[in-house]
Amino acid sequence: MDPRTRLLLLLALGALAVLLDRPSSLLLLAVVASMPLLGLPIGWVWRRRALVMAAAVVWATVLSQGLFYGDVPREPLLSLGPVVLYREGVAHGLVQSLRLVAMTFAGLAVAVSTPPDRLFAALVRLRCPYAVAFLAVTAIRFVPVVGRELWLVRRARQRRGRPLSARSPWAWGRQELLLLRPVVARSLRRSRALAEALDTRGFDPDVPRRLRRPLKMRIWEPALLTAVWSGVFAIGSMEVLYRAYLAELVYSPALRPVFGLVRNWL
Amino acid sequence: MSLVLVDCGYTYPDGTVGLKGVHLEARAGEKLLVTGASGSGKSTLIRLAAGLLQRHGDGLVTGSVSIGGRDPVPLPPAERASSVAFVSQIPTDQLITGSIADELAFGLESAGWSRERIDARIDEIWSRLGLGVSLHRDPSTLSGGQTQRVVVAAATAVGAPVLLLDEPLAQLDSEGIAELLLLLSELAEDGVTVVVVEHRLEVCLPWADRVVVLKNGAISRICNPSEVQVSKSAGQTRAAAPGGAVVAQVRDLRFGYGETPVLKGVDLAIRAGESVALLGPNGVGKSTLLAAFSGEIPGAVTTGRVVDVPQDPDLALFCSTVREELAFGPTDWGISPTETDERVARVAASLGISGLMDRAPQALSRGQRLRVAVGAAVTTEPALLLLDEPTAGQDRESIDGIMDALVALPGETSVIFATHDTELARRRAHRIAFLSDGVIARIVEPGDP
Repeated sequence: MDPRTRLLLLLALGALAVLLDRPSSLLLLAVVASMPLLGLPIGWVWRRRALVMAAAVVWATVLSQGLFYGDVPREPLLSLGPVVLYREGVAHGLVQSLRLVAMTFAGLAVAVSTPPDRLFAALVRLRCPYAVAFLAVTAIRFVPVVGRELWLVRRARQRRGRPLSARSPWAWGRQELLLLRPVVARSLRRSRALAEALDTRGFDPDVPRRLRRPLKMRIWEPALLTAVWSGVFAIGSMEVLYRAYLAELVYSPALRPVFGLVRNWL
Repeated sequence: MSLVLVDCGYTYPDGTVGLKGVHLEARAGEKLLVTGASGSGKSTLIRLAAGLLQRHGDGLVTGSVSIGGRDPVPLPPAERASSVAFVSQIPTDQLITGSIADELAFGLESAGWSRERIDARIDEIWSRLGLGVSLHRDPSTLSGGQTQRVVVAAATAVGAPVLLLDEPLAQLDSEGIAELLLLLSELAEDGVTVVVVEHRLEVCLPWADRVVVLKNGAISRICNPSEVQVSKSAGQTRAAAPGGAVVAQVRDLRFGYGETPVLKGVDLAIRAGESVALLGPNGVGKSTLLAAFSGEIPGAVTTGRVVDVPQDPDLALFCSTVREELAFGPTDWGISPTETDERVARVAASLGISGLMDRAPQALSRGQRLRVAVGAAVTTEPALLLLDEPTAGQDRESIDGIMDALVALPGETSVIFATHDTELARRRAHRIAFLSDGVIARIVEPGDP
């Protein structure tokens, strides 16, 4: 699939994550967003870790929102003495966390499956400012490397001294912050080497490059994008109409099925 | 085309003179080796010749650089890349794309070549490289030697007549070095001027046509390789501890990454006070075996505290000053300030970093950073010290400094170090374990034939 198609699908998914408001529809969106990860050449260990992380994010958000939901009206779902879990808070937490999970899964799938240079070419062709495109792609490319380095620094630190947990939370936190120093220093050095490689291989941001493998969409890709974006616009339009109806700006009996669809499904 | 430097100099923003009054000519097809102690200005010289300091440095540049009579600095990027190619030390940091083919094509695309020409050029380069892997493979998954060859091929793809390399052998094993030097010789035979900055004289002298020796930022002499004396390590092995208790052991250790087995049944026991060198080509499992002893992967039984120095010293330096870095371990373990200071001073002196105690470790040169990382591990006086390639990219003086610091360790501390340097292993280890095909093929003592 052309990297531009992937990016435009990612954008559509992002728009849907913002437009949809119901936990069930967002859960469906998160499931759809996770599908490409199944087809990628990554180990089951990482897939399991992604699932565990997603579950942890949903659980933590739902619990915190359920406990500390402040808007009224609110209905207790569960009471344990002074601790009350509110139904509206749980729903709100589900919505927020599922949005995040859906976007993270989709972003991961695009980042893992698309070589950095192709992603960069696609961003530039989609009129993304050059500097922003380069920054974004470089950041994505080095996320796993920096993660691994952070782990190595932490391990080196633990080997030389007492365990991090064997001290006050304040000292622990301070130590953890200190560990960022070598990772930042290493990242700066790596950036310099990469910049020198780009510079000495004739890279010029002001001159269009003639790609050996030009970006080319397959015949079905524009059709897919048209269908997906038509759906996004349709959902967006229905949401706008429904909001206008709630604000008593718009009402027509003919629109009642639309309002019902938005209220019950979107 | 020849590379000519006339009265070149570079002063860093803090006023430090990195290079001064350098006159140098490298002829077309010549293989020039630039060497000198750490901090002598080798990297500054090669970056100046590549035009990098003129365009991106914050310091003061003097003198002129020309290639075939033309100054490459003001040229547009694509034209400049057609004049001079540059390769730095760590190959993986220079990879721009996700496949070997795209990596080779990158410079050609920048130069605006047609697709047909690019494909033809890639075919030509590929047949010469002979890597024996798919052209579509991710270059970051190759061995160090293979990656460095891809980077060199990518840098010279547009046909630059001058190729500059900054310590390209630092991360390579003997096989990788031989492959890279062969590629560089072939390029030189095609008329490319090849300038290599390198410490590893024993492998580079037979390859080079001429040698430039730098000292304190200036050329101290230019000579034939036969006139250069390779200094041999005068160091000694730590006092032997025959019959000490076993402090670390692996038995029939098997480990792999995904589907690929790396260790296929390794048996090794380390006794207290013993220094053991692990030798073998890249990818044979030296680092994996060290990871087992460090507890990162299961399979080893160890007693006492285990401290390791990673291959990349940057990842072991997290304090504000060198003094704090060296004192971190003893202080954290509750050693008295007096004893900590004594340890820090002793280790710093043996490593030659006493003058750097108030500097930020992250801001030092690579060699200095490595010495600080080793020093920080040594001051903790662990039961077992693990060093992964402790001498990569170091000159002989630095290597001796690092290994001398190990001599100063308490007698009961055991050391395992992975290295490609047979001479170093012979001089500094009690036993040498040769790894081959995932097992220890043989263990010898330095005196053995």
